[in-house]
Amino acid sequence: MSLLSIHNLHKSYGDTRIFSDINCEIGQGEFVTLLGPSGCGKSTLLRCIAGLTDVDGGQINLGGEDLVPLPPQKRGIGMVFQSYALFPNMSVAQNVAFGLRMQKVAKDESEQRVREALEMVELGDFAARYPHQLSGGQCQRVALARSLVTRPRLLLLDEPLSALDARIRKHLREQIRAIQQELNLTTIFVTHDQEEALTMSDRIFLMNAGQIVQSGDAETLYTAPVDAFAAGFIGNYNLLEADAASRLLLRPVNSRVAIRPEAIQIGGVGIEGTIVSHSLLGNVVRYRVEARGVQLLVDVLNRSAADLHRDGQNVSLAIGADAIREVA
Amino acid sequence: MSRANRPFKNVGEAADARQKQAKKRSLQTVNEHFEPGFNEAAATQVVFKPPVKAPTASLYHRIVVWLLFLILLLPLAGTLLYSLSTSWSATILPDGLTLKWYAALWSDERFLRAFGQSLLVCFGALALSVALILPLMFVVHYHFPKLDTLMNVLILLPFAVPPVVSSVGLLQLYGSGPLAMTGTPWILLGCYFTIALPFMYRAIANNLQAINLRDLMDAAHLLGASTWKAAFLVVLPNLRKGLMVSLFLSFSFLFGEFVFANMLVGTRYETLQVYLNNMRNSSGHFNSALVISYFFFVLVFTWAANRLNRDKA
Repeated sequence: MSLLSIHNLHKSYGDTRIFSDINCEIGQGEFVTLLGPSGCGKSTLLRCIAGLTDVDGGQINLGGEDLVPLPPQKRGIGMVFQSYALFPNMSVAQNVAFGLRMQKVAKDESEQRVREALEMVELGDFAARYPHQLSGGQCQRVALARSLVTRPRLLLLDEPLSALDARIRKHLREQIRAIQQELNLTTIFVTHDQEEALTMSDRIFLMNAGQIVQSGDAETLYTAPVDAFAAGFIGNYNLLEADAASRLLLRPVNSRVAIRPEAIQIGGVGIEGTIVSHSLLGNVVRYRVEARGVQLLVDVLNRSAADLHRDGQNVSLAIGADAIREVA
Repeated sequence: MSRANRPFKNVGEAADARQKQAKKRSLQTVNEHFEPGFNEAAATQVVFKPPVKAPTASLYHRIVVWLLFLILLLPLAGTLLYSLSTSWSATILPDGLTLKWYAALWSDERFLRAFGQSLLVCFGALALSVALILPLMFVVHYHFPKLDTLMNVLILLPFAVPPVVSSVGLLQLYGSGPLAMTGTPWILLGCYFTIALPFMYRAIANNLQAINLRDLMDAAHLLGASTWKAAFLVVLPNLRKGLMVSLFLSFSFLFGEFVFANMLVGTRYETLQVYLNNMRNSSGHFNSALVISYFFFVLVFTWAANRLNRDKA
């Protein structure tokens, strides 16, 4: 049975529709990501679940309880913000203890729980510091500890990693996932970063223009996009119009075609093409290849300098039948 | 024995060493792969050094700063010396030094009353400003952020209308009828509130923008705080700096205010500046002692308040 059920949720500001007909079921302990471009309504949806923004209609049920009439204080939801939202006038320990103070938890128990929460995010030695004395990553870990210490039924993460640099972001996302799994805490994570969504989530809800366009696990979303938007947003799909696809594949194609760059192989017998340009992405080399008047992106594992192809070099491309996906 | 061949104490150490070796190997591969590129980059790299200051430029800057400081300080130093001199008319330096003008000033009952009344009016106006402006700021920035534009126009009005003009208007409006209060400190309280408003509004508005009010309130709400609790426990303490700065600024301005005090109240509720004006025909030494006392008080008050306003952390 699902912990959180959302039915026909909709929200508008005046004539501007933010989202509509949102329906989803999220189970206990699931890590779900709302993924989508800026302005698709994912953060507003999260704020509506938290009770920070009113909804125009629909239902939000958490553990069988209707959340819509409840104020944010009574929803039992923890939330981590992109801006950290740490209270600057309070030390790390006081920030983490704030929720317990509001719940009037006894001092001894509160101190114990604050200590445990800070240990969990590996900031046990930072209790006496103030937010301005911490780095961005540390601030976000304090914010996480603060939202966990009250033992919420649901944890909401609103682009918590967006303001951090790449190395810290990677470390923190692993830490968040480990803590979530350890506590078996139902979590909704909002991001526009497909890599974050693919690596962290049990399930991903892909949103566009205020609607959920596709949902499923990372593999399904990556390998089987339902439409051109999904194919364009997840991965770096080659999206070909029907006529270009027909020309490339030498067979009639009636709809647009999506081909993953890493599913195209260079070498062997196949479609003749010429390398237009290449760029090094670390462990992957991305080639732009022109074949039969169509430009394709081809990702190849960067094994050694000897395997690199030069710009202008003629190559042959092999595309497996299962890698060619027709999309709406 | 090389480190690679040395026997390991336990499995953990062996695993660690394996990982380090693998990392070294992969880095080596990467380096080999990119070596020509790295070398090219090294050849063209720019080495940044701190700029070396020319001694003459440094001396010039110092001279400008000291000159400016002297120009600002000279009249004050002259006034201080005059207030401490027995007499000083036809000589370069005073004839002698004395504290008798300060003794005379600080034993003058009229001066002490004017000083106390000035303080009372200033603190009263500032208390009224805090009581009215803080909730207003909170409501505008949290609930009606669009009103901020209107407020920014409104707060300019006290500066847009010259004090003499608004004094005449206030005299007509509050000179008679049910709201007659000219000649009483009440009209000064209200008037000084309008003078303090722009200082306080701008300083607190900047402070509110810096703390990200909406996210702090949202976080506090989700942690179980009511709007009142969130405002008192989270927002208000973070406005301390902006509030204190605006209070010092307003206090210094109001404590030295003369036009409104003279025209609206005059000698019926004499403030320090009105007293200074009324004593203009007495001894210049006495007046100098009064001006220095006034400056010294504002200086000490601002310094003490600044000390109290320092961060805990």
